[in-house]
Amino acid sequence: MARVGVFVCFCGANIADYVDVPQVVEEVKKIREVKYAVEYKYMCSDPGQQMIRDAIVNNRLTSVVVAACSPRMHEKTFRKALSDAGMNPYLLEVANIREHSSWVHQKDKKAATEKAMDLCRMAVAKSIANEQLFEISVPVTKRALVIGGGIAGIQAALDIADARIPVVLVEKSPSIGGKMAQLDETFPTLDCSQCILTPKMVDVASHPFIELIPYSEVLELQGFVGNYKAKIRKKASYVNFKTCTGCGACWQKCPVKVPNEYNMGLDKRRAIYTPFPQAVPNKPVIDAEHCTMLQKGKCGICAKVCQPGAIDYTMQDEVIEREIGAVVVATGYDLWDPKPYEEYGVGRFKDIITSLEFERMVSANGPTNGVPVRPSDGKVPKNVVFIKCIGSRDEAKGIEYCSKICCMYTTKHTILLHHKVHDSHSYVFYMDIRAAGKGYEEFVHKAQVDTHATYLRGRVSKIYKKGDKLMVRGEDAQIGQVVEVEADLVVLATAVTSPHDNPELARLLGISYDKHGFLSEAHPKLRPVETAKAGIFLAGCTQAPKDIPETVAQASACAAKVCGLFAGDTLKKDPMISTVNTEFCSGCQNCVNVCPYGAIVTDEVPFGHGSKEMRTVAKINEGVCQGCGSCVAICRSMAINLAGFTDPQIINEIVSI
Amino acid sequence: MKKLTYFPGCSAHGTSEEFDSTLKLVLKTLDVELEDIPDWNCCGATSAHVMTENLAYALPLRNLVLAEKLPHTTMGIACASCYQRMKVTKVHMDENPELAAKINSTIVEEGHYQGKVDVKSMLQYAYEDIGLEAIRSKVTSPLTGLKVACYYGCLLTRPKKITQFDSPEFPMSMDRICEALGATATEFDYKTECCGASFSISNTEVVESLSGKILEMAQESGAHAIVVACPLCQSNLDMRQPDIEKKSGRKYGIPVFYFTQLMALAFGHPREKLKFPKHIVPVEGALSNIGKAEPAPEKIKKPTKAVEAESEVE
Repeated sequence: MARVGVFVCFCGANIADYVDVPQVVEEVKKIREVKYAVEYKYMCSDPGQQMIRDAIVNNRLTSVVVAACSPRMHEKTFRKALSDAGMNPYLLEVANIREHSSWVHQKDKKAATEKAMDLCRMAVAKSIANEQLFEISVPVTKRALVIGGGIAGIQAALDIADARIPVVLVEKSPSIGGKMAQLDETFPTLDCSQCILTPKMVDVASHPFIELIPYSEVLELQGFVGNYKAKIRKKASYVNFKTCTGCGACWQKCPVKVPNEYNMGLDKRRAIYTPFPQAVPNKPVIDAEHCTMLQKGKCGICAKVCQPGAIDYTMQDEVIEREIGAVVVATGYDLWDPKPYEEYGVGRFKDIITSLEFERMVSANGPTNGVPVRPSDGKVPKNVVFIKCIGSRDEAKGIEYCSKICCMYTTKHTILLHHKVHDSHSYVFYMDIRAAGKGYEEFVHKAQVDTHATYLRGRVSKIYKKGDKLMVRGEDAQIGQVVEVEADLVVLATAVTSPHDNPELARLLGISYDKHGFLSEAHPKLRPVETAKAGIFLAGCTQAPKDIPETVAQASACAAKVCGLFAGDTLKKDPMISTVNTEFCSGCQNCVNVCPYGAIVTDEVPFGHGSKEMRTVAKINEGVCQGCGSCVAICRSMAINLAGFTDPQIINEIVSI
Repeated sequence: MKKLTYFPGCSAHGTSEEFDSTLKLVLKTLDVELEDIPDWNCCGATSAHVMTENLAYALPLRNLVLAEKLPHTTMGIACASCYQRMKVTKVHMDENPELAAKINSTIVEEGHYQGKVDVKSMLQYAYEDIGLEAIRSKVTSPLTGLKVACYYGCLLTRPKKITQFDSPEFPMSMDRICEALGATATEFDYKTECCGASFSISNTEVVESLSGKILEMAQESGAHAIVVACPLCQSNLDMRQPDIEKKSGRKYGIPVFYFTQLMALAFGHPREKLKFPKHIVPVEGALSNIGKAEPAPEKIKKPTKAVEAESEVE
């Protein structure tokens, strides 16, 4: 007969404040099969685990129920405790009486206690039918895919490749570098962004373990941890990178001018272009949408001037496949469009620009050679108003979260303005100054003292035009008065948003994202770089707004995770997968259609013993099966069984309440 | 012939009588017939909603219930404040049937609110239901040469969730209507600033300061006149103008028209019918610009950034 041990956790006050734990213990003791039941303050602690190990040995238990937090939290911990006591770890059941009872029924202790008892009864009943299960080993492809070639992707790729693990780096634009390549200097040390970034970009291109695939996108990801297969679309660049020398004759002669994305549209690039002089790879691509040769069949100048003959107007998109074992997603961020701030005249007044536009202007390689100018008349501005939290922390117009980096880059901008235009003056309208970080507070202080930036605490309510000036009216909450500042230029610190195509990417990777489109980590504190899907990791702003040091740290953390995953030759996998009883299978193939992982295929078996006639049955690829149970539910002939969730287990659970 | 339920509001019979009468002239030309709500009552204005929620909803709700007895689907309201109270009530009642039932119970003898009549300001009706094309087609004496600053005030487009009309911060509907009449709308940044509203009586200095800024900005935009769609805006900007001039030492002389007055003018109605003598600031100076030769009219530019969206070929 089954001998079940039940271990009920207080979780400090988390459970005990809302569930009468001793009463739960008393109740489960009434169940015939329960031979041992006990409560403890922290079951997950070492003394708690020791209680479990001792009870298993002393009471000759055949299964264990831990009533505590979600199995997502500590199932592994308790399974290990079972193993240590010589018991098969899959004889454990977790009754989640925290998330499923104490936390959600805080106002009704009696009902919460009753629900906790029910959850325990169910777990006990299920555990009686538990069987010994054994981990499955699957082979692993030791190659990582990094999506996105900004600083996050670059750092992750380099760190993984330095461990002699091959990396495929996919970047959608013609060059790697991302947003960091657009920055002039970086806070709080004011080192030149290009100077610290470009060596890393070159390292990526020359690293023997990195395959850089620029101007391409991930189309499809199939498989499972250690055994993914990625389809990548290489967009037609119309330039043969092998023969192109990057001489630049083509873009100097190209007659088509297009707003330059790298300079935020403040100047023009050509239809054949490299995004910026330090681009990696330093080979041009043709922007098919604007190229007159590709659109109308007229021109062809670039092909004429190209001495190596690298231009190929007939080039087509190409889809390639790579087998990989892990993915690092580092797709960066977008910036919020400030158009809803109509009271500021955004879109009407040319001399209102965004921070990244300002950044391009003060950049030495920017459209104005490092001198900020007014877009309306090209004059150098003297009074510049910086407005923070444009879209951030503004539920009415934008989004409720804080974009985290704007306080610091706006501070940097006041300093850069002072460096470039000595007789200028900065005014900063702010809600709060969030300068938590090494050297950050000192940096803000430096801006306020050394460059005499005037910080005004309050929101701007209106911007209107007076002559050629912009009148910025806002509140100075510290003196409790409305103030008006006469500005030559207004710079808006627009919110950091998730890349607009993140939801689409998340769907194709099979990972989740939050309501703002940021990709979700597996646990906000303890698993910040993993996603809920094994083998897929997150680096940089695609997960949440963050600055460069944090992004780099997260990217390196991803690399460590990937290296850890690839440390052995095989991966261990939970044995909770489906199996088909071919005797019962009618071959209807409903399961093939519902399987979200493509783990079910068809097979042929003889009709009967020794029969030559064959019939179709379902077959499950145990490496691919994730144990979701969809096939079990759809199977009309009850031919599919999910280990760990068998029909007797589920029926026991139902009967127990 | 279109038909429309009409809520005149108290000011239409007093200070803004010229709004009411020119509105009727204009709608006649446009083949729209107004039918007053029988036995309509005060919308509650500012007083009711600072006192009790119940009264603030019950007064407009009674009008809404009465309006449902007429066969028309839309109620047009001239006064911006009446419009605001009526629209707020309609939106809140439609969103919250429980609240609607509770408020309705206090005026149950008038009938049951069903929410089948839409509420629009006359500006919204002119812009959305009549349309610029129809307006343009009736213009017989275009207002070419007249530069106007279109002033919407605080209530006609705000809050966006309630009004669902035009931009809450930089509306353009009245500008477009004035352009359809042949006038030029100036680039005017003070379209939705507060004029001081009902502080006109209790704290006149506040109104003089706020309305003074609006006049100043209108003058700087090069406007000969201000155009409004709200009786209180009109009275503050027009009636207080001499005092504002005295205090600020600036000379404005900017008449303040209802947009319906300009429509009537452009549609060729005789000036005697447009109630110009009711204005405090004389209108003749501004109107004398009509028909004067003008250098190419300065249109409000389309929003552009530093670059053109289109690519160009050398």
